[in-house]
Amino acid sequence: MYRVRQNFLAGARLCLAIALLLQGCTAKRRAEAPIKIRWAHDPENLDPMVMANQTAIDAINLLNCSLLQADFTTNQFAPALAEALPTVQLFGDSLMRLQYTIRPEAAWDTGRPVLATDVAFTLKLMFCPGLPNAGPGGQYRFIREVLIDPRNPRRFSFVCTSQAVEYVQASGDFFILPEAALDPKGELRAFSLAALQQRPASAPPNAVLEALSRRYAAAAPGQTPARLPGCGPYQLVKWEKDRYLRFARKPHWWADRVPHRPFVLQARPAQLEYAIIPDAATASLALQRGDIDVFPQMPTREFTRLRKAPATRANLNFYTTASYDVVTVGFNTRRPALSDALTRQALGRCFDAAGILQGSELGEGQRTVGLLNPADRLNYNDSLAPVPFDPAGAVALLRRAGWQRGATTEAGWRRNSSQGPQQLRLVMRYRTDEQLFATIALQFQAAAASIGVPVSLQPTESGAFSMALRNGEFDVYVRALRGNPFMFNFTPFLHSQAIGAGNNTGFSTPESDQLIAAIAAANTAPRRAQLLRRFQGLMQQEMPLLPLFFLSNHIAAQKRLTGLHPTSLKPGFAAMAIGEAAAPPTAP
Amino acid sequence: MGRLFLWRLLRTALAVWALASGVFLLSHLEGDTAVELAQPDLAELRTTGRASTLAARQTLDLATRHRLGLDIPLFYVGTHRPTSATAGQWHWNGLPNQYHRWLVGLLQGEFGTSYRTGESVGSRLLQALLFTLPLTGTAATLAVLLALVLAQRLAARPGWHRPVRGALVALQALPLFVIALGLLLFFANPAMLVWFPSYGLDQAVDAEMGVGEQLPFYLWHMTLPVAALTLSALPELTLQLTAALEQELGAGYATTARAKGLAERAVIRHHALRNALLPSLAQLAELLPALVAGAVVVEVAFALPGMGRLLAEAAAARDFPVLVGGVLLIGAARLLALLLTDLLSLWADPRIRWQR
Repeated sequence: MYRVRQNFLAGARLCLAIALLLQGCTAKRRAEAPIKIRWAHDPENLDPMVMANQTAIDAINLLNCSLLQADFTTNQFAPALAEALPTVQLFGDSLMRLQYTIRPEAAWDTGRPVLATDVAFTLKLMFCPGLPNAGPGGQYRFIREVLIDPRNPRRFSFVCTSQAVEYVQASGDFFILPEAALDPKGELRAFSLAALQQRPASAPPNAVLEALSRRYAAAAPGQTPARLPGCGPYQLVKWEKDRYLRFARKPHWWADRVPHRPFVLQARPAQLEYAIIPDAATASLALQRGDIDVFPQMPTREFTRLRKAPATRANLNFYTTASYDVVTVGFNTRRPALSDALTRQALGRCFDAAGILQGSELGEGQRTVGLLNPADRLNYNDSLAPVPFDPAGAVALLRRAGWQRGATTEAGWRRNSSQGPQQLRLVMRYRTDEQLFATIALQFQAAAASIGVPVSLQPTESGAFSMALRNGEFDVYVRALRGNPFMFNFTPFLHSQAIGAGNNTGFSTPESDQLIAAIAAANTAPRRAQLLRRFQGLMQQEMPLLPLFFLSNHIAAQKRLTGLHPTSLKPGFAAMAIGEAAAPPTAP
Repeated sequence: MGRLFLWRLLRTALAVWALASGVFLLSHLEGDTAVELAQPDLAELRTTGRASTLAARQTLDLATRHRLGLDIPLFYVGTHRPTSATAGQWHWNGLPNQYHRWLVGLLQGEFGTSYRTGESVGSRLLQALLFTLPLTGTAATLAVLLALVLAQRLAARPGWHRPVRGALVALQALPLFVIALGLLLFFANPAMLVWFPSYGLDQAVDAEMGVGEQLPFYLWHMTLPVAALTLSALPELTLQLTAALEQELGAGYATTARAKGLAERAVIRHHALRNALLPSLAQLAELLPALVAGAVVVEVAFALPGMGRLLAEAAAARDFPVLVGGVLLIGAARLLALLLTDLLSLWADPRIRWQR
């Protein structure tokens, strides 16, 4: 008995020693702790030309600067590297010149100033062969020429091939790269931007371009961003794949010298660390323990649970903002049974958007009439009503579309058309990795079955889902489209030109094509708003897509953090503006 | 014996090559999906970020194929090639093909580069293995040792054997994610006990500290993941070995040993155990590849960077070089484990003979 007691006491002492040791180490760590933010996955690639995913964009944003950056306090673009928003000059009926001046303080880490030549170099890089520039190459083709002011090396103008109002802001939304790091001799200056844009893929290899491509590959900015250092406020200190990324504030960042520093040039945390925690339940535990400081995009149920729990309410702040992610149903209009608007409208009445929003998202989120966010008061068509859940109305619409219900439930709906007899029987696809989509699909299946339309569900793996959409192997799909307040060009996914490219529904009418083109070319905001309102009405009538609701963005953060500036823009808060409240004085 | 071993080794190497080749060719048939996923996400409504016409899309596809090395034929022979007028006819593609390029690289020790990150696949796999092997290796060792101890005790049918067996059966019925989350919720939850960290290896493990300081951190972080894996592997090993031991204890030689006056423990340890081990050795052959493959569920639950997560994400993103490299490693581990099991079986029962 005595021996057992001795063993127990020895074990207890050992445990106490280990606990004290760990406690000491933890305390030491906390004192030097950076602000820790949860990411669900690794950014994988930090190449500013690739911008593979949202986490990569967030990381690249810390390392680089663009001419204009989104201001989370106003949800508008604001000047960052540029001194001011560009001045606009219109020429004829299609050309536009946007003039920028770079801030005099703007400089690379070497002390060299950021100049117009760097901007021109970055744009040319987007069209150099052999670089991973497919994304930006498609995005900035509207800039045809960069005219550098011979009297001021920081002033330049973009010559744009369209007068679209959205190009004014888009023209400044790319990260500027240092010419000296990749092209120290300035050999790319011999090529004009237009020549690179028009260079055919079959053109004979050019020694200068090949050498540049090799230098870019050797720099491997996707994995070692320090070899292509940007002029952003942070540098990457450590990147452990699938574990964390740590960024440290540059001690002498150029924007520190800017008088009356605007919000977009704020960089308050000395260190930022992004912890990669794939599982939301694990991340929630880490937040409750104080192992991480910010949990963005928290699942709604967990967010609501923590917000209601007294223990967590005392330690955490909770923020909810409307996101620009819209859950959307798409109909394959190439299918004969779905080729007419009345049938699509009927099926649209089988989605109980309000019920799903209440059941799955606990009422958080916002119903919508179209792809534009209701928060966009100028452009959102508030004279329209969201499509109601109305199975009886769906039956009436199906009859108007020429469908006749069989004598038995199994017979379903049939109609005769010029292409032969048709039967209304649908295959619905959705991604397996999102419970919300499964809920929507099941609700639709049940509602459709109640009016005699058989729907078979095909939950599909993410990659296979993308291919199925591209190949038109679906009747109906549901997914989330991730938008932003600056996107008004619907050409890539609703124009007839994009059928086979991004227009998965196969929808097109001459009227919608004209309207999309007019919106893309609108040169004033009021004119564009007028067209957008008409477009939303037309889309609700034709219904190739049925936007159900906008999702909410939930953020939970430690109470000591200030200045998160929750926003509807991705990533949902301003990491660079976060500060820490002074700790309350401890009792003597 | 030596020649036979070499022959088996050669057969194993051939089987690994055939397996990897099969996976390479089958996966690359899905090259279109890899091209699709390597392009800007269609669900992202950027300003003008995507190809807005069919022609632009085809140009983008072509450029992406070229970048990923998918613009040359897949194999030495094929049924169609871009310049061929008659599709569906078999013809010789020549040496510049994807398989030949991969095989030559493999013989030079190159696994290729990741589609997603552009990193060398070899270094990425090595990086993941450095995290996975200590985790799965420790868990497998603990599970085997505990199973050996527990099975010998249970086979002797002490008073507590029924509840323990019941608990083991219940544990086996639990999916790994339930065990992992259960451990997290009990031992890393401020609402319960806060004994262990809630997620993976945070930066403290990499901090510039001595090994003496880092080791407690490392062990502290690895306790729950190792416990989850051990608990999930333990029931199967224990119940199997217990059943085999019980069968052996009913055999004549065990009765003779008891009649000689040997204690039950001695009968188990010195007579029955070696005979009962044969089926368990086959289980070890299952356990060994899992050491390399990692445990994706535990890695996700505890935010650990291992092979399981790497391969699961590579499969989802159609990152074929990483996927094929991983399959090659796991396949080699599995076939070597089979070879090792055969050798151990020979040791356990010398009456077993290898046949060609």
